[in-house]
Amino acid sequence: MTHLPAPRRRRFALAASVLAAALLLSGCASGTDPAPSGDAAKPVSGGTLTFGRVAAVNNLDLNQQITANNAFAIDKIFEPLVSFDENGKIIPWLADYTVSDDGLSYVFKLRDGLKFSNGKAVTPKDVDFSLSRHLEVEGPLPLSAPIESIAETGEHEVTITLSEKYTPFLSELAGFSNGIFPADFGGKSEKEFFKNPIGTGPFVVDKWDPNGDISFVRNTHYWQKGKPYLDGLVYKFIADDTQLQQQLAAGQIDAIDTVPAANAAAVDSAANTVLSKTESWSTEQVFFNTQRKEFADEHVRRAIAHALDRKGITAATSFDTAEVANVLLPPSILYSANDEKGIALSYDISAAKKELAASAFPNGFTITLLLASGNSQRAQIAQIVQESLAKIGITVKIEQLDIAVFRERFFAYDFDFMLNSGQSDAPDPNGFITFQADPDGFSKSYWTHYSNDEVTKLMLEGRTTPDGPEREAIYLKIQQILADQVPYIPLFFPSNLKATTDKVHDFVVLPNGSVRFQDAWLDAKK
Amino acid sequence: MVKQAVATVARVTGRLLARVLPVMLGVVVAVFFLLRLVPGDPARMILGERATPESIAALQEQLGLNLPLWQQFWDFLTQLVTQFDTGDSLVTGTSSRLLIAERAPVSLGIVVFAVVLAILIAVPLAVAAARNRDGWADHVVRILPTVGMGMPLFWIGLLLIIVFAVQLHWFPVGGVGSGPGEPLRSLFLPALAVALGLAPPLIRSLRAQLIEVFEADFVTTFRAARVPERRILGRHVLRNAVLPTLTLLSVSTAYLIGGTLVVEKVFGINGLGTLLFQSIGSRDFPVVQGVALYCAILVVIVTTVAGALAALLDPRLRTTKGGRS
Repeated sequence: MTHLPAPRRRRFALAASVLAAALLLSGCASGTDPAPSGDAAKPVSGGTLTFGRVAAVNNLDLNQQITANNAFAIDKIFEPLVSFDENGKIIPWLADYTVSDDGLSYVFKLRDGLKFSNGKAVTPKDVDFSLSRHLEVEGPLPLSAPIESIAETGEHEVTITLSEKYTPFLSELAGFSNGIFPADFGGKSEKEFFKNPIGTGPFVVDKWDPNGDISFVRNTHYWQKGKPYLDGLVYKFIADDTQLQQQLAAGQIDAIDTVPAANAAAVDSAANTVLSKTESWSTEQVFFNTQRKEFADEHVRRAIAHALDRKGITAATSFDTAEVANVLLPPSILYSANDEKGIALSYDISAAKKELAASAFPNGFTITLLLASGNSQRAQIAQIVQESLAKIGITVKIEQLDIAVFRERFFAYDFDFMLNSGQSDAPDPNGFITFQADPDGFSKSYWTHYSNDEVTKLMLEGRTTPDGPEREAIYLKIQQILADQVPYIPLFFPSNLKATTDKVHDFVVLPNGSVRFQDAWLDAKK
Repeated sequence: MVKQAVATVARVTGRLLARVLPVMLGVVVAVFFLLRLVPGDPARMILGERATPESIAALQEQLGLNLPLWQQFWDFLTQLVTQFDTGDSLVTGTSSRLLIAERAPVSLGIVVFAVVLAILIAVPLAVAAARNRDGWADHVVRILPTVGMGMPLFWIGLLLIIVFAVQLHWFPVGGVGSGPGEPLRSLFLPALAVALGLAPPLIRSLRAQLIEVFEADFVTTFRAARVPERRILGRHVLRNAVLPTLTLLSVSTAYLIGGTLVVEKVFGINGLGTLLFQSIGSRDFPVVQGVALYCAILVVIVTTVAGALAALLDPRLRTTKGGRS
């Protein structure tokens, strides 16, 4: 890899996000809204926004959860010391921070007058308690940074010391699992606390049915003055996505969490609904179980990569809502090399045939593609894969299973190859790479069992190298190796597709798929 | 007559218990073990794909999923017998009985509403067809249900939504609204969807019975005596024709419940059906067991009560073993 300049688009995004962050920080006091979606109208307070979602919120324990149904309710209640904006840029949130020159100690200064939703001040003790509990619980989204100590170094100051350099630390800390809550759970038991939690977030739980709806009311002590604009927020559980869309169209609800790609254009063109399409942190992929003798052969994997028309698959199954993937890391993640030319293996049937001829299976073979049922987009991709591979002599059988069984199968490495997606929780590349390329991690390179010493070495280097060209070079190299050896074929980067009625303004969607509702407001006239 | 009624009620209660208990035991055993045969681990579903094996193991232990199967079954059975509860939801920790009790009213509402609508649809149509036998009305009534029966329930539901909710705005698209009268309005379309599936066999059965009774000797006698046609129909013909239809209706209870569970999804109603689908998806064993058990009990009760009603209406059916009672 010699061509290293960062894509221009990303630089622009970075600059824009710094500007947005500056506006956000300075703008809180003056009451101006950063208006990221470009709304010219002035926000008005009041009203309740009803948000339709296909899954219910069933647990609010921030340290035990990872799935979107709960995560995106948890992040309305709890907030971390640092966060990220809609471009994935890390920004100060509950605290401002400085990092020591050796990169080992991080000093966090809490905002003046920062209060919990019960009106009590947030103290360093609360920060220590919250993060220590997370370290203890470990949970599905653990703090992997080598934290040596968390110390209260001032009235409003906390210092976190690492035992060795760990560049993704701030990005990890921005995860919703590192939200701050009162020390000793405010005197309640853990169980009681998470039934009616107290945090610094814009909203407070009002009524909650763990198998149905949850409603929130405004946190009157919220630190962003004047926000949230909404008096209330209701997450309405509607199990069916057709129903979701029809209720939105009829104006029965104000916003919906998911729009199937196939319906995006219809929602966009309808008079009273507005489609929100933003970059996500996920990558739709074909994963190979490299323990299978066919897929242990690198030539076979390369042959398949050459045989799949990723552009065609993206266009046909995402209806122009996704971006074709050339590398593993989505463009919204730091150091993504998606814009670099010539990284991915091109769509080339004769090259595919050549690769297969060079493999131990020159005459092809029969193999099973595993996927979860209930996802029509993946079902479509599976059929295209089947047709494409038939052209080079590989017979694909498609096996669709209910999601619980599907998970059971690949957790046991009991599959040939599968369709699934990878997802990051932070803008730093380390999370994605670690989960998909660490042969010693519990997922064994996302259940592919792929192992490459150079990738492992680079992955470890990437964690300790400070941000800059040197770190970028490391991740470009990793992406290049993965594109050459194809333990998985990144197909496309799906967008976060959501929609609102036209009376909803400043509906800010973050790249992890969550919505920043403190900025949203309702047009009372509509 | 009163004595007979009391005797019937007593006998029905006895029969109910004798039927419910074995059915319950069968359902409990079958559902418990069948669910365990299906692969898929609740802990994994709760924690998601990126959960570490350690956190999954910890949750399994917390949920008691690491215990031997016989012990899990024994715990389940004891809780059922002593507290009449199928246990706490693995996902939310709330009692499954409570979850079911919260959602049962809306589902039962659809069932009852659907029966009423089905009768309101079936009776006039069947009467019209039977009275104009082989006339155009009869042909229409005989052909239409055949078309209706070919359409899947979710499809009928979607059509109703598109026409009456999205286009005409007469009814809400889905959900159960709050406020006076609102639930009734919300449940009309789902109930109608179920009723449209239920009505065709009812019409067919009722029409056949009506024709038979219309041609019976006693009707001819009434007619000869110049008894008004309306009175013959209301007092005598319908009453005689309704019995087999009632039996048919009670046999359809299982269809009704199943249909209700389906339309809940189409109409975005958070009732028992949604709870069941949600719980099956997340392998929330106690809740699935609970819903299955209560639905089974409901079916047994309805069929038994319908049998008793039939007996009250028709003395001939009271003849059980040991001659006339």
